Amino acid sequence: MEIYTSEEEQIAALKRWWKSNGQAVISGVLIALVAIVGWNLWQSHQKDKALQASVLYQQLVAAVNAQKYDSAEKLSERLRKEYDGTPYAGYAALLQAKALVERDDLPEARATLQEAVGQVPGELEHVVNLRLVRLLLASGEYEQGLQLIAEKAPGSSENFAPFYEELKGDLYVALDRPGEARTAYQQGLRGGAVMPLLQFKLDDLTAPEIVESVE
Amino acid sequence: MLLKIREKAQGVFAWIILLLICIPFALWGIQNYLDVGKETPVVTVGDKDFFQRDVNRAYAEYSQKLAGMGVDEQTLKQQALNKLIRDEVLLQYVQDQGLVVTDDAVRSFISSLQYFQVEGRFDKKQYRALLAAQNMSSAEFEHRIRNALIMEQFQHSILDSSFATAYDVDRFLKIQNQQRDFEYVTIPLPKVTETPSDEEVQAYYQQHQKDYQTPEMVAIEYIELSLPELAAKVQATDQELQAFYEEHQDLYRTEERRKISHILFAAGKEGDEAALARAQKARERAETEDFTALAKELSDDKFSAKQGGDLGLFSVGTMEPAFEEAASKLKEGEISEPVKSAYGYHLIKVTELVPATTKPLSEVREEVKKAFQKSSAENTFYELSEILTEVSFEQPDNLLAASDATGIPVKKSELFARDSKQGIAAEDAIREAAFSEEVLQGNDSEPIELGTDRLVVLRVVEHQPAATRPLQEVRASVIAALQRSKARQQAEELAERIKRQLLAGESLQKLADAQGLELQKRTAVTRDKGDLPWQLRQAVFKAAKPVAGKPTVFIVDYSDGQKAVVSLLKVTAGSVDLQDAKQRQNIEANIAKVQGQAVFNAVIKDLQAKADVTINMEK
Repeated sequence: MEIYTSEEEQIAALKRWWKSNGQAVISGVLIALVAIVGWNLWQSHQKDKALQASVLYQQLVAAVNAQKYDSAEKLSERLRKEYDGTPYAGYAALLQAKALVERDDLPEARATLQEAVGQVPGELEHVVNLRLVRLLLASGEYEQGLQLIAEKAPGSSENFAPFYEELKGDLYVALDRPGEARTAYQQGLRGGAVMPLLQFKLDDLTAPEIVESVE
Repeated sequence: MLLKIREKAQGVFAWIILLLICIPFALWGIQNYLDVGKETPVVTVGDKDFFQRDVNRAYAEYSQKLAGMGVDEQTLKQQALNKLIRDEVLLQYVQDQGLVVTDDAVRSFISSLQYFQVEGRFDKKQYRALLAAQNMSSAEFEHRIRNALIMEQFQHSILDSSFATAYDVDRFLKIQNQQRDFEYVTIPLPKVTETPSDEEVQAYYQQHQKDYQTPEMVAIEYIELSLPELAAKVQATDQELQAFYEEHQDLYRTEERRKISHILFAAGKEGDEAALARAQKARERAETEDFTALAKELSDDKFSAKQGGDLGLFSVGTMEPAFEEAASKLKEGEISEPVKSAYGYHLIKVTELVPATTKPLSEVREEVKKAFQKSSAENTFYELSEILTEVSFEQPDNLLAASDATGIPVKKSELFARDSKQGIAAEDAIREAAFSEEVLQGNDSEPIELGTDRLVVLRVVEHQPAATRPLQEVRASVIAALQRSKARQQAEELAERIKRQLLAGESLQKLADAQGLELQKRTAVTRDKGDLPWQLRQAVFKAAKPVAGKPTVFIVDYSDGQKAVVSLLKVTAGSVDLQDAKQRQNIEANIAKVQGQAVFNAVIKDLQAKADVTINMEK
């Protein structure tokens, strides 16, 4: 660093420095200010948006529970279009699928869940996939169901694996492949699934005893 | 050198730099001082610490909910801790997701809570007062409600969107209401009376040696110093008893029992004066009308109002001073004038009053005598315990010296095993000492405390190691066991024979007749109706379905050795056409609910597995 001997020299040096760098400093400060203000505005905008979504979502939940599926559908459409990017959009898709199932519109329900895969947070990915498989099962598209499980189940934790196994068993039963169904149900039971019907489903598939030649 | 720095450290820049350097130095390490005395958290979830008091509070809240369900404390504590962690993991997740609720939603939720309502309306004063009683600020309470609401939002997204398709309902009905037709014969255990040959008995005895063991046994002699026995010998004069009685009067006094009811006139929205006016009016009515009915009609304390104003037993220190003073002055059946508290005005009535009493000596003489004897014998007991301990330590190979020194005779026990429950051996500590290595080698035991008022020193006088009982001694039970096993075998052979013949195409009716057994037929048996032994029902529903009209034949084993041979004839799927549409809806809702809950639990478990949770429990 330069060493100054008197006050005047120091001031002169300061002025020189300001002349060459002043503009940069001012624009730097301005940019920073704009960035801070902008960020804050953005934040409060996001917050407002989330609050609005939250209100709509509460109405949606109430509508579904009151079985007012018309208004439920309108509300969820709105949430999914106008508030995409908030978690509420994904939740709305799940609730909309439920409303559609209640009205027996399985194809639409399926389309909604397929879109929902991209809209829900990662933690709900398997919730959506499991429901998709159940819709495929209900509409007789067993092979697609098995294929979806083959794609998605390997990425799930041990907490979800039993549910996939149970559905796999159901699909094999529907395809009249009891051997594979039995294996899947057994896997599901081993994973500690607590769905009460699972044991009965397995018992229902007991293989006939092989009887040695009749004397 | 220093001088040079001083000279140069004079410019404006230099000062600024100096200042910039100084600040960090000045504050360096300050957090070490602020941290002093900080306790270590019991549980840490992410960046949130929970201390012992938080865990205690969670436990208190949790156990309140499950009070009286007979769950032991340790389990409750563990469950409360798990719930605390689970809730925090979920809370951090939903906050991280950016879930929010509006102030309006929080407000309307709080005002919908019945606790804060007076006459069906939210009452601010009541709200404040109840929170103050819980030692909670309204900000903290609102914060908690807010968190609960956003957690609920997330829960709704999974639970309320869960559905059951027509396929799901049909599948459930088909399996749950499945009906099975079958016929069966029960094969009783035959009575085997023929005596087995000596060789058979010998062979069975050899193979089942461990069933014919005598356990390891010991007999002990012991000196038992017993406070109750010493006490029984103490003589007591009337003067001594009188003195003792006077000294311990409080033991013979029953405290006052005072049960109170009240009617609250909350000063909430209408203000003090109006509340007082209402209270006074009610006071006048109470002269002629029933207090209980008035409480039900008028009281703003909705909880006690339901019980006719009853607050239970009155104890000092739980109410406000003015209230307590008024309540403790009333006679039985008397109603107070309006009394002011933070809640408003109260009318108080004492519904039950049993005054404090002291029982006279004549009535409690036996009790007093016992207590006096016990307290007088205590000194002797402690002196003798010391002598016993000392002498048995100095002469560890006999008890006589200790018996002489204490004047207590040596007693003897019968032989007993490690699991005996007889006489002195009924005490776990005695058996443990008697079978300890040290004592089995022939030494006196250490003094063993049985409760606080008995002390025992023992030694082993006879030791029988474990052994196999000789055949002649157990012959009868070997024969019985052999006969039992033969009976089982015969029943099994018969069952197998019937099964084979059934499979070969014989009718069960014919086979049953040939064996003199009764054929039982059952049609349309369901999983849960009818009176069948559970082993039979379970086996029937686990059996393979008949293929191509050929019945499935199987044997059921009962635990007492009886058998059943079953022929499963027909399996009918449960009907999916329910007459009652409502019933179908209920089943649908139920399946959706169970599915939703199970999947929600899986999501939470996933979150917990990913979360950063540390537990530092003592013990």
